[in-house]
This record gives sequence, structure tokens and C-alpha cells, in this order.
Amino acid sequence: MTSKSNSNLVFVSLGSLLVFLGLWELLCRMGFIEPLFMPSPTQIIARAVKMLDDGSLVQHTLASTRRVMVGFVVSSLVAIPFGIFLGSSRFFMAVFDPFISLLRPLPSMSWIPLSLLWLGITETQKYSIVFMGSFAPSLLYIIEATKSIDPLLVRAARNLGASNLDVMREVILPGSLPQIIAGLKVMLGIAWTCIISAELVAAREGLGFMIMNGKEYFQTDTVLLGMVMISITVMIIDVLFRKFERRLLPWTRQ
Amino acid sequence: MKSTKAFLASAVLMMASWLMFTGVSQAEETGAPEKITVVYGGSSWLGHYPVWVGIEKGIFQKHGLGVLFQNFYASSGRMGSLVAGDLDIASTGSISAIALMASGSKGFMTFATQDSYATVEGLIARQNIKTIADLKGKKVAAPFASSAHVLILDLLEQNSLDPDKDLTLINLKVNEMPAAMASGEIDACAAWTPHFNNLLNMPGNHLLADDTAFSLYKQYGLGPGPDIMVVRREFAEKYPNTCKAFVKGYFEAVDLLIRNPKECAEVLVKLTNLGMEEQMSVLKDIQWIPGAEQRALMVEPGKFTEGMQRLAEFLVKHRQIDAAPVVKEWVAADMMP
Repeated sequence: MTSKSNSNLVFVSLGSLLVFLGLWELLCRMGFIEPLFMPSPTQIIARAVKMLDDGSLVQHTLASTRRVMVGFVVSSLVAIPFGIFLGSSRFFMAVFDPFISLLRPLPSMSWIPLSLLWLGITETQKYSIVFMGSFAPSLLYIIEATKSIDPLLVRAARNLGASNLDVMREVILPGSLPQIIAGLKVMLGIAWTCIISAELVAAREGLGFMIMNGKEYFQTDTVLLGMVMISITVMIIDVLFRKFERRLLPWTRQ
Repeated sequence: MKSTKAFLASAVLMMASWLMFTGVSQAEETGAPEKITVVYGGSSWLGHYPVWVGIEKGIFQKHGLGVLFQNFYASSGRMGSLVAGDLDIASTGSISAIALMASGSKGFMTFATQDSYATVEGLIARQNIKTIADLKGKKVAAPFASSAHVLILDLLEQNSLDPDKDLTLINLKVNEMPAAMASGEIDACAAWTPHFNNLLNMPGNHLLADDTAFSLYKQYGLGPGPDIMVVRREFAEKYPNTCKAFVKGYFEAVDLLIRNPKECAEVLVKLTNLGMEEQMSVLKDIQWIPGAEQRALMVEPGKFTEGMQRLAEFLVKHRQIDAAPVVKEWVAADMMP
């Protein structure tokens, strides 16, 4: 696909967004939609300007970003080596499989009562909610990425005299890394879905707190602004992640 | 044959229409409720006691009404459901009502304030904290966007303390406070009954201030989040007789609470899961406001409505809402006894 057709598609996407926003604004101004249930785009922008002016929007965004990134990074640092290890060993995979299967379907919100008992109302409790929400899915992704390495490559390496450590370092890790990184990008989005749960208890800042507080005061524009900020923040982090991916995996560049 | 059948069918149809029309007219003439089921939003909070008593004692039934009691944990959820059309009538804390008024919603009206309580909500602290000024540098918890939160903001303001700079104000649900106090994670907290009573009974805790210390209480007899009765506007306009019957039954239940709290406590324990002794203790601290006093409080001279207006301005000052609504625009005088 040429760069010209790529730019055309970008214009199409932008255009469709503008048409949608225009229609939404028109329906609100004509009174078809009540502001309590769905405020207009200009109302949301006005709320954003007000919160930027008093600094609270940046404060909330940074607080949530910190909580998500800490929880996600710790979760990844544990999941990557553990997932590669389990993906390389059928025996240990069988040992841990029942526990992973139990953890996997649990939503992050279900961890709130236990996390409060174990960690109290500290910031660590919030990091732990993000950790628990993203750990099991990340682990499974990494296990699958490791298992997908062609066994012929492993056998070839061993035939050439490679030790287990060499096989891990020279075959499994570089082979599975692109898929692991791709999976982590998806998991980062999942980590962000945990932020509402994480900020339900003892939070006085954060986008999740902002959304719930806005709900209590029927400030639907604040609720929608919080949701939009989560999306924008994830998009920015995604762009940065892709740059990091290109640097880390230069051989995957097309 | 065909024409006979057609004639009979038409006659039956006409008869049914006539009966329906006269039935409706009779309802309008005699004042019988147009709609016999009212969906009410409540919880185990004391503001809902009259409705529960009215249901359990058959008072609403006597007025031709069935009342369906729907439980909601928070006032905000209850108010949201009311304007969305899932509830017809509810009692709510005035913070939520004022917030909804401030959002511009005209989908509801208020027609009564049923209770006054000042000693079942307050700020509880560890023994080493003797005054509000001692809260400086400490961790204080309250459920944000609630009457307890407003109480703390007011007490701090009275003592020239900044909630953003002089201490750490933590957003915590009332049922999570006992564990946080016990573990030492917080130094003080604001809560309402029954959690207020539980926290006060914990060793090492004492009462720092209750609602009587609230600045508007001294002038208006108003706590930081008094209860009010609200009705969905569309429901009130469409079913005026039903609303009248509900209001009659409601204040008969209030009268019973005033006259015979013990009889009411026997049915209230099913709602609150409190023991009889504890239930009687809670009832003892509530001042019920009968129907005859509503108009004076809410319309003319309207001291309660004026107090709500001051409360709205307080919320604006503390950046909880953007602008103060004109509260009296939401008062439904024609629904009052």
C-alpha cells in the first residue's frame, strides 16, 4: 500500500470521527438528547478546559498512569521469565496449570476485598489490583509464545552443541520475543481496564476516581471525559511502546 | 350469520370502551389511585423507615396502594434510577438531590423532609485526637460525595484547616472504616448509623463531633445531608391521585413512628437487621417531622428550603458542584398535606 493511500485512509478515519461528533453535537443542541444522560462534545471539552486550568486533569491522569504502569511492569517482570520457563517445561506446566486456570477468569474487582485485608488502603493495594488483573492473561500469552517456537530449531541448536542456557538465550528468547511484546501491548490495555477497580477504594485522585466521583455528582461530562482520557493515554502509551518495540527487535522491522 | 357475529363483536367492543371510560372518570371523580403500584427506592437507612412501616402495617394498602420497596446502597444510584424512570418515589440524601438539581435535571420534585437527626452521624477519632485542630497532619476518612464528607469539610473550614494541604482526606466507604481504624491506617473517620455506632464502640475511639457541630445546623436545624422525599415529575403529573394516596399513607406511618416507636421497631428490624434494643436506640435519636409541618418548612416560610439553598452554595464553595441550583424550583407544594 502506498503512502498516498495510507494518508487517504487517515483522512477517512478523521472524517468519520468529525461527522460522528458533529451529529452528536447537533442532536444535543436540538434537545433530542438530555445532557444528564449524554452531554454534548462541547460540554465535555468545556469540562476538560476547566480541569486543565485547575491542574486536576493532569493530576488524575498522572496518578492513574503511575498505578497502571507500576502494576503492569511488575506483572510483566514476573510473567515473562515465569511464562518462558513454563512454556519450556511440560512437567512444570502441568504442576502450575490448575492454579493458572483458577486465576485466569477472575476479574480484577474480585480481588478488592482480599487486597484490602492483605495490603490495607495503601498505594500498594492499588498496584496489586492492576497486577492481579493483568498477570494471568500475560502469563498465558507468554507461555503460548514460548511453545510456538519451532522444535526443529531447538533440536538443531542442541545438535550443534548448545546447552540449555544457550538454547534459551539464542533460540527461545529471540524467537518468542516478538510475540511476547505483541501480547504485552494487548495486556497493557487490559491493565488499564483494572484502573476503575483499583481506584474504587481509598483513592482521591486518578481517572477511575474522577469517573466514580463524577457519577456521584451526576456530572456525566466528567464521567465521559475520564473515559476519553483513559483512551487517549492508552493510545499515547501504545505509540511509545511501538517505538520501544522497534528498538528492541530491529530484525522484525519491515 | 356473519353480520350477526360482526354486530355482537362491535357491541362487546363498545360496551368495554364505555366501561373503561366510566371507570376512569369515576377514578378521577372519587380520587381513587390511578396506578395502584408505586415503585419506591430505599435502603436500610432511617430515612426509609416510614415507607417500610407503611408497607408492613398495611397503611398504604388501606389507601388502595401497593408499594414495591427496591433496595439501593447509595443515594446517587437511587436518584439516577428515579430520573431514568425505574422508580416512582424515593427518599434521598439532599447532597444527591442538590447535585442532580445542579446538573439541570427537571425530572423530579421534592415534597417533604421527613426526619431530623444530629446524633447518629459524626466524626470519630482516636483518643489522642482531642480537637478538630489536632487533625492536622493526620489521615481522615469519609465517603466522598456524602453527608459525612460535607460534615468534615465544614468542620475543617470552621477550624481554618485546608483539606488539601493540612491533612490527608481519604475516600473510604463506611463499611471499610472499622478495619482501617483497627489497623491504624486512618486516625479519624466520618460515618453514619449503624456504622457510626460500631466505630464509636471500638476501644480507643471517641466522638470528636456530630452533626450538631455543622454550621448550618445552628441556624437552620439542618444536618449536612438531610433526607428528603422525591417523586418523578412525570409520575406526579400523570398519577396525581396515586401521589395523594401515597402522601397520606406516608405521613400516617410517620405519625405511628412518633406515637408508637416500639410497634414500628418490631417491623423495622426486618429491614435493618438490628436487634430490638439497638433499633429502639436509633429511633430514640430521630426527630420525625409530621405532615402538618411540611408546608411551613418547605414553602412558607420555607426555612428548610432556604437551608438547602445554603447547602448548595456550600457545595459550590468546596468545588463539589459547579453552580448552586435554585432549590425552591424543585419543591412540589401541591403534593404536600
